[in-house]
Amino acid sequence: MTDPNLSWLFWAYGVGWVLIFGYLFWLSRREQSLRSRLARLRELLEKKPERKP
Amino acid sequence: MLAALYLIFLWVPTEATMGIVQRIFYFHVPAAAVSFTAAFTGGIASILYLVKRDSKYDDLSVAANESVVLFGSINIVMGSMWAKPIWGIWWTWDARLTSSFILLLIYASYLVVRRATTAEQRGVVCAVICILGMLDVPLVYMSNRLFRTQHPAPVMGGGENSGLAPQMWATFGVSMAAMFLLWWSIMRIRLRVARLDRGVEDLTRRTHELVDAGAV
Repeated sequence: MTDPNLSWLFWAYGVGWVLIFGYLFWLSRREQSLRSRLARLRELLEKKPERKP
Repeated sequence: MLAALYLIFLWVPTEATMGIVQRIFYFHVPAAAVSFTAAFTGGIASILYLVKRDSKYDDLSVAANESVVLFGSINIVMGSMWAKPIWGIWWTWDARLTSSFILLLIYASYLVVRRATTAEQRGVVCAVICILGMLDVPLVYMSNRLFRTQHPAPVMGGGENSGLAPQMWATFGVSMAAMFLLWWSIMRIRLRVARLDRGVEDLTRRTHELVDAGAV
């Protein structure tokens, strides 16, 4: 016979994993965005014109 | 982690009183242990930052403190979903649950303050909040030993009638190891992101300085 509380077990672990994967997804998006910002800033600084005397 | 999930769902015997829902224990308690360890890691990193003013400690602190919020939330949400079928309520304001909630609020406020302060103020203000958070951890840990709580007394090291069956101990040990490994992996990623964040901030500052000087 199935335990009546099986759904609670399922939902508890489900929510736990959603929180972990949600955070990991947010971290990977943030890392991507920071890498592209860093690349743009480096490009901008490398392109800076030489100041004339 | 797969080994832990196998042991939790397929191997460990079902607890006699609470039934299958007691298996929440094998994630609920390790999540709390990780959040406590993360709070101490963040607290010690903050003290080191205040002493040495080295940004690597601030990076370590933010990585640890975000994981306090993550694992603290997992602990509270899973605990609440365990409480509902067993106690008949989602939540009660007893000493253990309230102190855990306060701990979560302290670290959530840390993250808000971190975004709201300037780069110059950030390190010191956040370090102070983080040290306060670390001081709450022993209170959370001792709350169900010092006060009468709805939350059960400690299962491990809690007195004569406490303890676990050998298979439960093994499952708990593997789950604890898996949760700490997960935390360690998350910390490594978060530290990488913190260093990138600092790199972007430094380059942005340099760009602004050059723009102000008319060089760009």
